[in-house]
Amino acid sequence: MSFITQALTALGWIVVALAISPMVWLILQPYFKGWSRAERRAADLLRDTLTPEQFRQLTWRGYLEVPSPTEPQRVYRVPRTKGYVQVIENGRAIMRLCVQSVEALPDADVVVLHKLMIEANEEIYLQKANKYVCID
Amino acid sequence: MLRVMSRRGDDRVTWDEQKALVGDSEAIAAVREAERIFAQERAKGATAFRVEPGKPTQRIEHFDPTAEQIVMVPRVVGG
Repeated sequence: MSFITQALTALGWIVVALAISPMVWLILQPYFKGWSRAERRAADLLRDTLTPEQFRQLTWRGYLEVPSPTEPQRVYRVPRTKGYVQVIENGRAIMRLCVQSVEALPDADVVVLHKLMIEANEEIYLQKANKYVCID
Repeated sequence: MLRVMSRRGDDRVTWDEQKALVGDSEAIAAVREAERIFAQERAKGATAFRVEPGKPTQRIEHFDPTAEQIVMVPRVVGG
């Protein structure tokens, strides 16, 4: 009887562990992801592409501001992780843009992609982006 | 250096322009390999940028072996 009770208890704990393991994985995944080879390589490219000041801004504020090469009052706010790029004009968010690569990329590469496209290919970037106008 | 963004981070091909200019076979092979990858990625819709410290980023249509660094980004679409 005692053996059966112990076996059932152990089985119960195994079931509980299996049930919560996906949740634990979801919580820990971003940390493991940060250590992956792809993320490390992407982080290298990001560091090589940004100035120290830009890198600090991205780290501490969670976004990178890329000035428009054609409109002096416009700045593009690129998030560190996947999400909309905000278009800021004269200090006000006027639009959100959604542009993505056809190939899945590490987050750091996505930041570099936006930066390069805005700085050297702004017209095409805006043509391709889906635009969502911000209304106060 | 040619850096091609991908799900693996970025794939890199490096070459020594000076050695290629004096006919070093390994350096020439590396330049040709980079040129081949450049053309292949362009055909898939990738965009190439010449990225050099202290200089404005420049979009390029053709492979330039004199570039210090070329970064290729995959085709983008509206999300």
